[in-house]
Amino acid sequence: MLNTESYNLLFNLAKRNIKLKYKNSILGFFWSFLTPLVYLLIFYFVFSTAFASVENYALYVLTGLVYWQFFANTTNEIIVSFISNSGIIKTINVPVLAFPVSALISELGSLFLTFLPFLTLMYYLGYSPGIAFFAVIPVTILLAIFSLGLALFLGTLNVYLRDISILWNTLNPALFYLTPIAYTVDLIPEKFHWILKLNPLWYYFEAVRASLYSNSWPLGVTWLYMLAISFLTFALGWFTFKKLQPGIISNV
Amino acid sequence: MSKPKISIQNVSLSYYSFNQGVNSIKDIFTGLNFSKPFEKHEVVHSVSMEIMPGEVVGILGKNGVGKSTLLKAVAGMIKPSFGKIEVDGKVAPILAIGAGIEMELTGYENIKLLVSLMGSKIGKLKEMMPKIVGFSELSDEELNRPVKTYSTGMLSRLSFSIGVAQDPDILIIDEVLAVGDMGFQQKCMARIEEIKNSGSTILFVSHNIDEVKKICSKAALLGNNTLLEFGDIDNVAQTYLNTFH
Repeated sequence: MLNTESYNLLFNLAKRNIKLKYKNSILGFFWSFLTPLVYLLIFYFVFSTAFASVENYALYVLTGLVYWQFFANTTNEIIVSFISNSGIIKTINVPVLAFPVSALISELGSLFLTFLPFLTLMYYLGYSPGIAFFAVIPVTILLAIFSLGLALFLGTLNVYLRDISILWNTLNPALFYLTPIAYTVDLIPEKFHWILKLNPLWYYFEAVRASLYSNSWPLGVTWLYMLAISFLTFALGWFTFKKLQPGIISNV
Repeated sequence: MSKPKISIQNVSLSYYSFNQGVNSIKDIFTGLNFSKPFEKHEVVHSVSMEIMPGEVVGILGKNGVGKSTLLKAVAGMIKPSFGKIEVDGKVAPILAIGAGIEMELTGYENIKLLVSLMGSKIGKLKEMMPKIVGFSELSDEELNRPVKTYSTGMLSRLSFSIGVAQDPDILIIDEVLAVGDMGFQQKCMARIEEIKNSGSTILFVSHNIDEVKKICSKAALLGNNTLLEFGDIDNVAQTYLNTFH
């Protein structure tokens, strides 16, 4: 399935995604760096006094925002990837899976390219990378698998029910505030923690924070949760896609 | 007797639509048939034909009889709901003018993208680029401009040039020659002739019966959701013309 032709195809589609996203904008690709930065400033000014108890709040929010942007962009792009490529799907013999996968690749590419400037910024905010930094690599891979699985599931259904992408966009802010990105967990009363833990993103953000904020290796149980959630979600997305794939060409 | 290039055996083609045009969640609550969420629409029923190497076959029929659907099935984009299609060799389908062209990207960027979409290896582009640029007769300046600034004719030049640049074993052309100026149309016909003479098989859809007669040796007439006639071009063309009288 994966030969040089498909690498070429995925790479070129991913390149096109990035080009199209920032076409006709002056700052272009810099927006992938600027968007989280603008959010960082907003949250810093709004919450830093309220959350004064959080040690190094700016670094805390930044690490969360970078990964939130990755998750939100990846899922949003993949969910509409079949529909926005309907012209190609209907006229060129291309495996349709190329569209969600290339969307993931372009978002991973953006994350990778913005990582160095963010790391510099994090360094200035007081982060001193240790060996736990490397934990972020498998965490990113697991989050990517989770995002792909979830968005493949929603994106396949979205071919038939267009409400899904709209609903996902609407729920995005709710999910953002349900995930400890702008606030820390200990600001929430203990008795509500079980609700927060129903959110699968909880575990990924905990692991990201361990690696990039508190300089510690994520806990074993967190790894287990992430592995299980990523695997199950990917399986859900994959089987939904496989089942409904034959109808995609005539319904996009 | 050599092996057929395309063998279509008793093929039926259908598409599935989500139940009665349900396009929103609202429709689910206002009555969705959960036991049968998909509705099957048969487009083409029980078609059989064998096409030999080097044959150029015109596909005739009124709008909506399933010509394009049949071509998509031969190109491997749709699986038959019944029967079997065997294709021997690399298929290059040109199914629409501007297929896959990205309006915001330049001509050159589109060429690179489309060549990779059509499944070519990385090294192949270097070899195909001059061919495509030469055939399209678009200038360097034009190819560096976003495609959204192109005229329809220029767009079809670009699109067709990319489609015929690869040397396919089987070329599929679906009503894409109608645009473009006369010079370019003649050039396209010459290129089709060239592909034909190199021994490739061509499936050709056009409503211009003279054009079909000129390049095709055989024809298939579709109607009433099935194959009405398959054989020598002159006979089939006559039957086709008679259906309009």
